[in-house]
Amino acid sequence: MSSITPIAPTPVAPATVGRTAAGRRFRRGRLLRRAGLNLLGLAVFAVMMFPVYWMVATAFKPGRDILDYTPHWFPAPATLSNFTNAIHRPYFWTDVKNSTIIVSCVVVLSLAIAFLAALALSRFRFYGRTAFIVLIIGVQMVPLAALIIPLYITLSRVQLVNTLTGVIVMYMTFVLPFSVWTLRGFMLGVPRELEEAAMVDGATRFGAFVRILLPLVAPGLVATSIFAFIQAWNEFIIAYVFLHDSSKQTITVWLASFTNLHGTDWGPLMAGATLTALPVVVFFVLIQRRIMFGLTAGAVKS
Amino acid sequence: MAAIQFIHVTKEYGGGTLAVRDLSLEVAEGEFVVLVGPSGCGKTTALRMVAGLEEISGGEIRIGNRVVNDLAPRERDIAMVFQNYALYPHKTVYENLVFGLRMRKVPKAEQRRRVAEIADILGLSDMLQRRPAQLSGGQRQRVAMGRAIVREPQAFLMDEPLSNLDAKLRVQMRAEIARIQQALKATTLYVTHDQVEAMTMGHRVAVMRGGELQQVDTPQHLYDSPGNLFVASFVGSPAMNLLDAGLERDGGALVCRIGETDVELPIDTVARRPTLERYIGRRIAVGIRPEALSEATADPNAPRLRGRALLVEALGAESLAHVEVTASPLDRPELVDTVASQAHLLPVGEQTATLLARLAHDTSVRPGHVIEIAVDVRRLHFFDVDSGVAIRAAEAPVTAAAAG
Repeated sequence: MSSITPIAPTPVAPATVGRTAAGRRFRRGRLLRRAGLNLLGLAVFAVMMFPVYWMVATAFKPGRDILDYTPHWFPAPATLSNFTNAIHRPYFWTDVKNSTIIVSCVVVLSLAIAFLAALALSRFRFYGRTAFIVLIIGVQMVPLAALIIPLYITLSRVQLVNTLTGVIVMYMTFVLPFSVWTLRGFMLGVPRELEEAAMVDGATRFGAFVRILLPLVAPGLVATSIFAFIQAWNEFIIAYVFLHDSSKQTITVWLASFTNLHGTDWGPLMAGATLTALPVVVFFVLIQRRIMFGLTAGAVKS
Repeated sequence: MAAIQFIHVTKEYGGGTLAVRDLSLEVAEGEFVVLVGPSGCGKTTALRMVAGLEEISGGEIRIGNRVVNDLAPRERDIAMVFQNYALYPHKTVYENLVFGLRMRKVPKAEQRRRVAEIADILGLSDMLQRRPAQLSGGQRQRVAMGRAIVREPQAFLMDEPLSNLDAKLRVQMRAEIARIQQALKATTLYVTHDQVEAMTMGHRVAVMRGGELQQVDTPQHLYDSPGNLFVASFVGSPAMNLLDAGLERDGGALVCRIGETDVELPIDTVARRPTLERYIGRRIAVGIRPEALSEATADPNAPRLRGRALLVEALGAESLAHVEVTASPLDRPELVDTVASQAHLLPVGEQTATLLARLAHDTSVRPGHVIEIAVDVRRLHFFDVDSGVAIRAAEAPVTAAAAG
């Protein structure tokens, strides 16, 4: 990067850039900088992707290749035995079911509640609104580890420890504030006049929310549901602490069972991890296309 | 179609801010009334109260014969065109137009017929399947109009619908809206801050300021006989010249002293304004429309003011001359529309005022020339300096603000 010449403050008109010596220097500098940025991007990509690749690759490797001192970069010969091994472990399907129940409930509930809460925060004025908004950010700053014990005691008093309901409630405590905050932002981006126009056109206030606002904040709902899905599906600590029975555990807790007193069973663990990661990826791929739309384009001109 | 009535309507926001103060105004059936005033004068609030988007703090609003104070917007059967159009961006033009009909459970076949008809009238037939984002500003404006018309409501409310268009399109749409309004005989309440729009479109114009109605009248009457200094300075472009003057009796005649020039007032002018006598020996405000000033060569007998031309703006059909004369500009900024008032835009000394004069397009006046301009004394306006109220001819209603 040190070879980049600083751009000389020469009074060269833009049209002649490239023809003069200063112009050439300017252009070469820009090319070098772009190449540097591209390299940096690739490096970041490699750092991010390598663990994922290693997990997937390991899942397909036979046991001796995994533990070999010389790294095997590609799974050759490949095997599916790790996957069959993982799937046939006890409680795999039960825990998949548990995770699915918890995630569905968290996503649906958080969307419904967050939509209404964000509506109140973005469309109505009420006493203590600002304080409430600040509180929503505030609670997200409390570290989870500090909350686990008090929450455990609270939930145990209402008989919710070791139940899926209890875990769902726990997940909501950190999914909801974020969802409300995000959705509020999306709603503030939708001009109020749209609902007013709908109300003048004959819709009720709630009708205007459902028919006009709801479709327009769809990208926000998608973003929030992805967040809720990932959070609830990947969560480990709460599920580990609150769910005691193997039949009530979630898939992430099930993954931890590959490490026991005798060591770690790497092949099936990586296969299990790959399987666990799959739903999140699929969910994201299915739904991400809808985030990007700037749906409010053309609504108003300001 | 139905009439809209404001009966002593007041809007107070939290914290005691009065946005609208004791507003009484009637928009007759089929009438086009324009609410005009500088920003923050309460005109939009008044309109939104009719629509039901703003609560009414005091008084009564009637649409037809119904008091609508406590009705939801959808129960008022009015249509509104918003400043920023407020088209539903996720719906096509067709869906935008049909939305109100669907909400009102109009039969499907009827929905289609009416949308097709409106689309035809507004030239939107080819773009029914497009979304608002794919339309130009003018087309969006038409869809917004269409969405209001298709409902066949009791009244139309329009909140600065043209302010987002470029100048040329605005003039075109201005005529279009006026034409549609006439064709439908639709009761229309139209809000704008643009006095040219107000004057050209409205059957009657209601001028508001600081939440209070100043004057309601036909555009021409508003222009010819402004009720107070604010209306005088707000209505008309370029704005009326306002000067501080003295009124004295000189023999039998009344003389208006502008700077060092004595302008003798014609007997009939004085006779029609009996209250003018009371101001003898006092200061008054004199208003002169730019077209009441001309080059002295054209009218040798008229009283004339001597001054130096500062600037001549050639507008094609006419020229606008800024002439610096020896006179006191009116120093009552709280009583006039300060945006329009030229006196505050140009540098003025203690005893010089800048007058705007509408001269012929081929005038020989050039900046720097010392010229004499003739004053058409029959077109002078007189105002009380303290209250700002016009000292008007007797046959005009004395307090037009109470009309309606």
